[in-house]
Amino acid sequence: MRLILSLLALMSTAPFDLAGATTAQAEVVRVTTDSAAYCGELSQRLSVTPHAEAEPARSLAEEGRRLCDNGYVRTGVAKLRRALRAAMNQAN
Amino acid sequence: MRILLVEDDVEVARFVRKGLQEAGHTVEHAPNGRDGLFMAASEPFDLLVLDRMLPGGVDGVRLVETLRGQGNKTPVLFLTAMTAVDERVRGLKAGGDDYMTKPFAFAELLARVEALGRRPAVDAPATRLRVADLELDLLSRTVTRAGKKVEVQPREFRLLEHLMRHAGQVVTRTMLLEKVWDYHFDPQTNVIDVHVSRLRQKLDKGFDRPLIHTVRNAGYMIRAEP
Amino acid sequence: MALPPRPVRRVLGSASLRFALLFAVLFLGAGLAFAAVLWWGTAGALDRQTDAAIRADATAMQERWRAGGPAALVDAIETRLAADVENEMLYLLLSADREPLAGNLDDPPPQQDSDIPWFRVPLLRDDEPSEARLYRLDLGDGSRLFVGRDVAEKLRLRTLLTDALAWSATAATLFAGLGAWLLSRALSQRLAPATSTAVAIAAGDLAPRVPLTGREDEFDRLGQTMNAMLDRIATLMSGVRGVSDAIAHDLRTPIARARSKLEEALGSASDEVALRGAIEQGIADLDGITRIFQAVLRIAEVEAGARRAAFAPFDMTPVLEDAADLYLPSAESQGAVLEADIPPNLMLTGDRDLVLQAVANLLDNAVKFTPEGGTIRLVARRGARAVYIEVSDDGPGLSAEDRERAGTRFFRADSARTTPGSGLGLSLVRAVAALHRGDLRLADAHPGDPRPGLLATLRLPA
Repeated sequence: MRLILSLLALMSTAPFDLAGATTAQAEVVRVTTDSAAYCGELSQRLSVTPHAEAEPARSLAEEGRRLCDNGYVRTGVAKLRRALRAAMNQAN
Repeated sequence: MRILLVEDDVEVARFVRKGLQEAGHTVEHAPNGRDGLFMAASEPFDLLVLDRMLPGGVDGVRLVETLRGQGNKTPVLFLTAMTAVDERVRGLKAGGDDYMTKPFAFAELLARVEALGRRPAVDAPATRLRVADLELDLLSRTVTRAGKKVEVQPREFRLLEHLMRHAGQVVTRTMLLEKVWDYHFDPQTNVIDVHVSRLRQKLDKGFDRPLIHTVRNAGYMIRAEP
Repeated sequence: MALPPRPVRRVLGSASLRFALLFAVLFLGAGLAFAAVLWWGTAGALDRQTDAAIRADATAMQERWRAGGPAALVDAIETRLAADVENEMLYLLLSADREPLAGNLDDPPPQQDSDIPWFRVPLLRDDEPSEARLYRLDLGDGSRLFVGRDVAEKLRLRTLLTDALAWSATAATLFAGLGAWLLSRALSQRLAPATSTAVAIAAGDLAPRVPLTGREDEFDRLGQTMNAMLDRIATLMSGVRGVSDAIAHDLRTPIARARSKLEEALGSASDEVALRGAIEQGIADLDGITRIFQAVLRIAEVEAGARRAAFAPFDMTPVLEDAADLYLPSAESQGAVLEADIPPNLMLTGDRDLVLQAVANLLDNAVKFTPEGGTIRLVARRGARAVYIEVSDDGPGLSAEDRERAGTRFFRADSARTTPGSGLGLSLVRAVAALHRGDLRLADAHPGDPRPGLLATLRLPA
């Protein structure tokens, strides 16, 4: 009985190990879009997009910029992206 | 006749040997199966009398099987203390020619020994049996005595045929029951005697000289001389 | 109280435990198969979905490159990234000399030139570790595009799934163990009555029988079979006891009689003729004893049922004709008539010799007890499922209570004391009938008559 239990335990942990195995060895790749610079880039892109002043794009963009300025870069980026999408949807 | 007796019981062997010698036969005795097999295989005998159960690894049935396997066709009479009915069948299947259970009357043994020993090697295709003035025609299935036809029932015909084939030899009641009726048990009453006496009446009536004789304590015999 | 240690081998030797283990293994095996399918269908599907999305994206990008060249591609990448609300898209476009042109990754994956164009690389996003799935696409002009997805979210889902599976596996193991234990216990419990009965029998007490639950299942059938076997053994045992009783009581008498006759002759025979006569009488007595002995053994052999192995189909008609033929002269010599009425084709499965002997015994009795001028009838009838053989005579018959006892060994009616016989004939007939699963019935041949005669009916199932 104990044997079966330990076998099962081994089986159930196996997927974790597989997932972990690749993380350990390789060199890390960084994402460059989670940065204040990208916030600016998106802002600029937004400014040349038509319908950017329409709601809800405008307030989303505003909120995004504010979050970026306060250091919440990832949330800010997400808001800005949503604003962009909203603006583009408006265009369509 | 030259007879080989294979029997481990000293007393039975002595008794059988003495009786057979008195009846004019030569008897060799082997006390166990191995000696018996050796003697039977190396010397010619007219008949083997075998105990069914023998010491020494070779029992009666194996002895016969071995001999028959070697092409030896000497007639074999089994003696046994086993009463089970299947034992008889097994003994005969192994190549035995006749079978007797102990205890037995010596007269019965002698009758069977002589019936076996004098059995013609090849059944001559006789169509006619004759004893004195009695004639039995196997083709027309008629019986005549002194040229006069005797009316017999089919069963009586077979009874007479068996007696005549063994003319001059004692044929016991059990042998008749076995050979003529194919019965293998001992009836309580004297059924065979009644059959024989009927046959005797038909054959001997009106003649001075009886042909079927009763042998005291043994059975019947058909012969010309009184 | 400490239990004595059970040797491992004995534990594994227990059939109920082996069944239980088999059950547990099957149960777990089924559980594992279920988990595997579940895994493939969920976590596996997530992976496949991601890969499909990446591939589709890569194909679209390649189209864009073909249509508009590097500039269009850069533009497409930036547009896509700008609209990626879920924040999961990853791109990296490298020029022919491996300079980054566009995208949101700082570096290509470390083994970017490997044969397989798929990569799984650790990702750092805003200093939080994550994981990326990347696909390499070599564009015609030497430039190279990596398309990928951040799979952190999927990994989290996968962990949840793994946890759930691990928990259910633990539960399954527990259930398998519990089930195995219950099964093992149920098996031992159901077998316990049979075992304890067998133990009691082995200890010498033939009386106990396996108690039945009435559920008519396999265990009840085992119990029934065991009980039938035990009944049979008990019958055989009492048969053996019967034989030894018979030998003890009924052979003693004729042996004592023969012995005293011989002793008397030895002491008082006047001449050789008298002595010879006494010895002959002694031999005849011994032959009689042998005959009784053989009859007893034959009955025991038949009752033991050993001869059923020799059963074969045969036609009763010639057998009965033979029997009538054999006894006809005996009957006639007593001034009696033997009438036979035997239809053709009476097929039967059984032991020819024994049936013949049974009929012969019945005829023997009939001939013995029929007076002059009497009639003995041998009639055979075919019934629906059996052959009936009737032998009737004009003799004194048997009283109702004698009929009950007729067929027990050595029974001889008072009226038969003076006729020869061992009292074993009907025992054998009964034994032969029983061997063929038939029976022997006795009745008055002429009811109401002062000499009712005896009608013996032997029923043999066809």
